[in-house]
Order: sequence, then structure tokens, then C-alpha cells
Amino acid sequence: MTPRLPWARLPRLVTWILLTVVVIGPLYWVTISSFKDREEILRTTPTLIPTNPTLDNFRQLFTATDYPSYLTNSLVVALLTALFTVLVSFAAAYGLYRLRIPGGNKVAGLILVAYMIPGTLLLVPLYQSFAAVQLIDTRNALVIVNVAFTAPFCTWLLRGFFMAIPRDIDEAAAVDGAGPVRMMLRIVLPLLAPGIATVAVYAFVFSWTEFVFASQLVISDQLKTLPIGLSAIMGQYTVNWGLLMAGTVCTIIPAIVPFLFAGRYFVGGLTTGALK
Amino acid sequence: MPPAGRTRRRRPWTFHLLGYALVAPLGLLMLGVIGYPLINTVLLSLQNQGVVGSQSTFVGLENYAQALTDSALWAAIGRSGIWLFGNLLVQTLMAFGTALIIGGRSRWSRASRTWVLFPWVIPTVAVAVIWQWLSNSNYGIVPKIASAVGIDGLGSPFGDSALAMPALILMNSWHWFPLGAVVIFGALQTIPNEIYEAARVDGANAWRMFWRITFPLLQPVLFALGLVGSLWSFNIVDSIYLVTKGGPADASMTAPVFIYNKAFNQFQASDAAAVSVITIILLAAVAAVYIRAAKPKEDQ
Repeated sequence: MTPRLPWARLPRLVTWILLTVVVIGPLYWVTISSFKDREEILRTTPTLIPTNPTLDNFRQLFTATDYPSYLTNSLVVALLTALFTVLVSFAAAYGLYRLRIPGGNKVAGLILVAYMIPGTLLLVPLYQSFAAVQLIDTRNALVIVNVAFTAPFCTWLLRGFFMAIPRDIDEAAAVDGAGPVRMMLRIVLPLLAPGIATVAVYAFVFSWTEFVFASQLVISDQLKTLPIGLSAIMGQYTVNWGLLMAGTVCTIIPAIVPFLFAGRYFVGGLTTGALK
Repeated sequence: MPPAGRTRRRRPWTFHLLGYALVAPLGLLMLGVIGYPLINTVLLSLQNQGVVGSQSTFVGLENYAQALTDSALWAAIGRSGIWLFGNLLVQTLMAFGTALIIGGRSRWSRASRTWVLFPWVIPTVAVAVIWQWLSNSNYGIVPKIASAVGIDGLGSPFGDSALAMPALILMNSWHWFPLGAVVIFGALQTIPNEIYEAARVDGANAWRMFWRITFPLLQPVLFALGLVGSLWSFNIVDSIYLVTKGGPADASMTAPVFIYNKAFNQFQASDAAAVSVITIILLAAVAAVYIRAAKPKEDQ
């Protein structure tokens, strides 16, 4: 589709600007607000660029609130969730879609049913079970729940990647005398790298944003994750918008930075995984 | 796919053992964190527990009778319907439009495939803060822009019982549309260009090509996205709870928020469980109807 007339580009240009404003606009506004001082943030005529840029909000965030410990907890839980989701879903996908165990189709069907179960509805009995095995108020509880909710989807996502690897490779390796475990780790795993990256990013983001379970399964302040911590700041300092903006910016950045590096794999991976 | 039959028949039993061992961790996790609590939800719904984890006795179907005659529950289920339909509509439109924009060949299009996902990677709490800040009635940029173009006295929509639900749907759609956009974008990539070329030779216009080629070929993906997306949006609690807690005056109290509220704020654990079971049954029924209605078109 090559437009011949210059005005034919206009609708495309307008949609471009619209998309940029819708996606980047709110993020830009919050970011510049975090650099404004108390007086400027509440000024009646808003400024697009801070006139007196200040780091006070960030200083206060890191010294006067528990933000540093929330950040640590979120990082620990998200990284462990990503690690275990990769291990569990890669193993399961290999067994289901490569080794094709008898009954595998039934398990794959159950994975689809698992989507249907609303996580929130399971909060009450999960709380009781976790209390019985003394997992309440631990970061492990969050990792277990996050992995349980991401791994089924990720296993399904990996299906597409397994489909893309020709089976001839397995057979050639079998002729060469490679056992199934060696085949899995030496041949299939490296070919599946984009799939692994996709699953890891998905699990990290899921864990980073998870609120409902984190709000009930963890009680102590020093074990809370960022979303819970930020919502506490939201409640405690409602009037201090500058601090809240700084907290928001610092919650967004750790999620966006790894995404900038692995994002392209993720977009490619999500589309292959979801379609094949 | 080459016939793999011969190699498969020769597989020793250790092969199957390995297969089961590999699937076991996922199976155990799903049983422990999803299956077992699901059974416990049903058991709990037949008891009279208050605070989560406290002593309780068996009461039979009493909780169900109570829940089914509670008009607040039916109102919440109705709101869940509006929430689900609103999100599906807004998100699909946003995702479709975005998929068309980011699908271009220019460098600008390629770069946008990364940043367009930003809203999806940030936590719901941050989304909630951002939109409350933008729409704050005193200091927010949205009311200021509105008053600049002549609309004065615009309060925060989240505090208005008529506007809270639409505003939450827009906020939540902003958070989730990137995921749909990327999936639709990927599906668009799989349609070979030659089909469009041929249609253009036959004199088809863009509108016709969309309805005759793009839309039918995307149907399987849209079907899957619609099903998974609906289930995901139905279950959302955090977006709503963080901004309005279901208010003002229950205006945004959907079924999952209703359950969360009952269990953890009103301390009626077994009532919450009964409502949960009712909700799961309704959800399963809706999903079954949807699959039955949409599936035949997908089968070739």
C-alpha cells in the first residue's frame, strides 16, 4: 500500500500521534511531576518541563519510607518467580509436547481449565493451606503462588516454540546416540532461547505487578512488595503527590529496563508462542 | 511433519518415566495451589466461618440460599457483565488499531513494538496512581485541559457514581491493550501479502479486503484472545479495589471485588466461598456457551 498523494499519509500520522500521546503521555506527565517541588506540582497553570527541577521527592522516598526494602522484596520475588517458572514450564512443555507422554493431552486440557479459575476466589482457602504449612508472611509463599499461576500459561506459550523445532533434529541426535536428557539440554534448550526469554519476561512482569495475593499472604512491613508498599504510601501521604510520583516512577523503571533489552524477544516470542 | 511412528514405537519405558517426571512439578503446583484450594472453597462454602481460618461448623446450603437471595450479589454480577463487555470492546478496538500502526515496515513502527508495551509491564498500583493524578479534580491535567477548551468544573470521574465504571474500564484497558495489540500484530504478520495483492488486482478496496481477508483469517486468534482476555478481565480485583474499593456507593463493585470485600473486610469467609462457587459456575457456563458459539467457525 503506497499512498500516492501526500494527504493520504495524514490519517496514519494522526493515529501515530494519538498512540504516542496515549501510551507515553501519562508516563511523561508522571515522570516530570516527580521532579517538581511542592509548590510547582500544585500550581494552577501546569508546566510541561519543571522550572525548578528537584530530587527532593526521590531523596524522601529512599530515606523516609520503606521503599528500599519493598524494592528488594519485589526483585527477589520476581527473579525467583521467573527462574522457577522457566524451569517448571520448560520441563512440562518438553514432556507434553516433545516426548508426548500418554495422557499428555488431558494435562494440556487441564492447563486451559486453570485459566478459568479466578485467582482471587482461591485466596481464602489458599490462605488457610499456607497457614497450615507456615508459609504465611514469607516471600516463598508469593513465589509459589506466582509460579503456580504463570507456569500453566507459559507451558502453553512454549508449545508454539516446540512446534517450530523440527523433529528431525531429535531423530538425528538419537541416531548419534544422544539420550533424551542430553537431547533436551544440549539441543532443544539452546534452540528454545527466545521462548525461554519470553516466559522469563512474562513471569517477571506478572510477579512485579501482582497485588491481590501479595496484599494478603504477607503481613510484616519489611516483607512487603512494591505494589503493596506503593499503595501504603498512597494511603499515608495522600497529599504528598510529589513523593507518590517519585514512588511510581521508581516502581515503573525496574520493570521497564529489563524489558527494553528483552522486549524484542518477548514481542516475537509472544506472537510465535500464541499462534502456532 | 515426517512420520515419527517408527522411532516412537521403539521408545523404552524410561522415556515415558522421564516425560512424567518432567510434567510432575507443574502438575503438583497446579494441584496444590489451584486444585486443592478449589475443593476447599466448596467445603468452606458449606460451613459458617467468619474470619479466615477461624472455627466453623457445617451448615449445608444455607450460605447459598442466603447468597442467591442477596440482591447485592446479583447487582455485582450485573456490574461484572458490564465490566467484562466494556473491557473486551475497548481493549479489542485499541489493540486492533495499535496492531495496524505498529505493523508497518518503517523504523518508527519497529521501535514502537517495544514501547507500546510499557503500560502492560507497570504494576496496577502505578497505573492507579497515574490515572488518579491525571484526573485529580484540583491538580490533574485532564480537568485543566477540559477547562481550557471550555468544560469547567470537571471532577474526578472515579469519585462519580455514574462515571466510575467507564473511567475504570478506560484505565484498565490502557493497562492491558498492549498485550492484545502484540498478539493481533503477530497474527497479521502471518497473512501472506500475495492474498492482498491478488485482491487488489481484482479491484477490492481496503474495507472489502479487511472484511473478506483480514477478519476471517484472524478469527481463530481473536477467538482465543476473546476467551482468555474475558477470563482475565473478569477476574480483576486490583484495578478496581485500588482506585474506588468498589465505590462510590457500590458503583464499581464487581463480583470478584464483592468476594474480596466479603472475605477480607467484612470477615465472612464462608459466604465469600459460596459466592465464589456461584461465580465459577456462571463463568464456566458463559465460557461453554462462547466456545460452542465461536468454535465451529474455527474448525476447518
